[in-house]
Amino acid sequence: MNKKIRRIIGITFVFILLALPVRALASDGSSYVYDGYTYDFWANVKESPAAFQLERTISQENLDGAKLGSVDDVCTSKDGRIFLVDATESRVFALDSNGKLLANLKLIRNADNKIALDENGNQIMLTSPEGVFVHEKNRELYIADTGAARILVLDLDNYSLKRMIKQPDNLTGAAQFKPSKLAVDLADRIYVIVQSSYEGIIELTADGSFSGYYGVNTPRVSLIDYFWKSLASDEQKEQMSKTYAPAFNNITLDGEGFIMAVTYDSSAADMVFRLNSKGGNVLREEGNTPVTGELWSIHSDDNGSRFVDIAVTDYGTYALIDRSHGRIFLYNFDGELLNVFGTLGNLKGEFKDPSGIAWLGDKLVVSDKTLKCAYIMAPTKFGQAVLDGNRCYYNGRWDDALVHFEKAINLNVNYDVAYSGIGKNYLMKSEYKKAMEYFKLGQNRNFYSKAYNGYRSEMLEKYFPVIMIIFVLLIGWMIFTEVRYHKKGGKKN
Amino acid sequence: MKTELSEKLYYLKCSIFHPFDGFYEIRFRGRGSALLAILLLMIFGILRCVEYQYTGFIMNTNELETMNSLSIFSTTVLVLVLFAVSNWTVTTLLNGSGNLPAIITVLGYSLVPYMVGVIIKIFASNFIILEEAMILNVIVSLGLVWSIFMLVAGLLTIHEYTFGKNAAAIFLTFIAAIIIVFIGMLFFTLIEQMISFIVSVAQEMIRRM
Repeated sequence: MNKKIRRIIGITFVFILLALPVRALASDGSSYVYDGYTYDFWANVKESPAAFQLERTISQENLDGAKLGSVDDVCTSKDGRIFLVDATESRVFALDSNGKLLANLKLIRNADNKIALDENGNQIMLTSPEGVFVHEKNRELYIADTGAARILVLDLDNYSLKRMIKQPDNLTGAAQFKPSKLAVDLADRIYVIVQSSYEGIIELTADGSFSGYYGVNTPRVSLIDYFWKSLASDEQKEQMSKTYAPAFNNITLDGEGFIMAVTYDSSAADMVFRLNSKGGNVLREEGNTPVTGELWSIHSDDNGSRFVDIAVTDYGTYALIDRSHGRIFLYNFDGELLNVFGTLGNLKGEFKDPSGIAWLGDKLVVSDKTLKCAYIMAPTKFGQAVLDGNRCYYNGRWDDALVHFEKAINLNVNYDVAYSGIGKNYLMKSEYKKAMEYFKLGQNRNFYSKAYNGYRSEMLEKYFPVIMIIFVLLIGWMIFTEVRYHKKGGKKN
Repeated sequence: MKTELSEKLYYLKCSIFHPFDGFYEIRFRGRGSALLAILLLMIFGILRCVEYQYTGFIMNTNELETMNSLSIFSTTVLVLVLFAVSNWTVTTLLNGSGNLPAIITVLGYSLVPYMVGVIIKIFASNFIILEEAMILNVIVSLGLVWSIFMLVAGLLTIHEYTFGKNAAAIFLTFIAAIIIVFIGMLFFTLIEQMISFIVSVAQEMIRRM
């Protein structure tokens, strides 16, 4: 009897332990577990494992005594170096992937290791730089030296000054040349973002002369504003606040050489841009939800995501960092939402004022301006499966992608994108019936239609004789009744 | 009995293909049936549930997990009944000669083309690809246009209105419907408050005694 009671109590304890939340936060914060989610077809939140977890924090301790005022931008090179930009202390730090300091740039030196001088004989010193870009093709490091209104081009290996780009003489427009973020494309053209410039991205040629404004963002116009403006007289119109094109806030280059940009402005019609050579937005939005980050819903007083930075892998999967919620949104090249995670807060691993994001292989580096640190995040088991699946799919290795997506589904059965991905693989192999089943689970109507088209033709081919016989019988019956009708003399009944 | 039903169905067919003549016969020679019309309304309500659930995957973007057939049925039927009642109230004031059964008859009968369109859509949408979905949408909208035409023609005939007056009456019908909904909501909130008052008084009395 006693034994029995003890056993019952024991079993109860086991169940209580199982029911306890297993959100272990280690004291060093290294195992911070994010809450992930995705949106389904009807914009409902579906819980999901987070794709990334915190691996390491880079903060002042890593910088060998140098002071860190803020982290304004982060960039990585292919060989695993991380570049942090500190606008407050006017420094750029280069670190290796383990967070070991490699270089601390403030005074720029030239190739023979002497302090470089500009044309007036002044030392070239960084003055509140806001952006940095690694141009792998020419092994160059571009620093947007915002305070001094110039762009410095350094050698990527020894950080010596290669050249300096000042405000071009032929620059037109209202924008002041205060480069904040920049990107360099495969043809060495330099794209410069000036904060709160409504004229677009400044495009410079490789030698630093102005070649034009690139990519114009369209504001969202409300119907009511349009109505009042159509009634107003010219004098009234002058008094009304002007609707300017929303400014771009950050820019990067994707694996195919397209410029990708984000805007922070809530009045913009689009939030994320993939700009073609004409400056038009060619971002793919084939997913079940639009690429706007947070989705608007009746039940929330949410006013949407504000993206401050974008990072793209060479297989088109991109990560967006949302400042208003401290969340990271992962999308694949088709614009399907892969995962959302991260939160605002004061714990290690949470964000206060995120400023930049970059890929370090399959890892993410995210900088935070107020917390004065950068997080290195490593993919979780689930995240790795998702990234691998998308990489294989992008590169056309259908069979490998299938394996990875199945792994992802084992970890998250509510994962539409993986069902859709498996369906696409079966579609490539012309296994239409299976593909249809998976597309239905993934709520992918577009591809379901393609699979069904194949399935229907297969069925028509298979049952062609039967269909033909029915058709012939039908025609025969029609002719027969017609003949009988005319024999009776054309009278009804 | 059987011949009577077949006569009713014959005039239903008549009113679909020749709305003016058909509804004239129905109104002034007693060849319609309000009962049949109510049956058609019910069938329409059920059809909306079937449409929600069984339209093929490609054309069906409804969230099937949260489907509530009772609410779909009742909202569909209630909206139509509301239209009939408010049309009746308006036309009574505007010297319309149609009574409530006649209005319900017109409403029920004129749903038939739309219902046919929806049935075709439900069935065929299971065998189409995305590019062909447009054809089905066209069929449904054709049915809808035909239904609206029948409704307008039917109301015009039974009330013996000119076209302009009929249009005005239909416009006023919508306003009347809004007023009815408003009064209904007012009534229910007042009743709710009254009930809660009685309940609290009763509770108070129970506690004191």
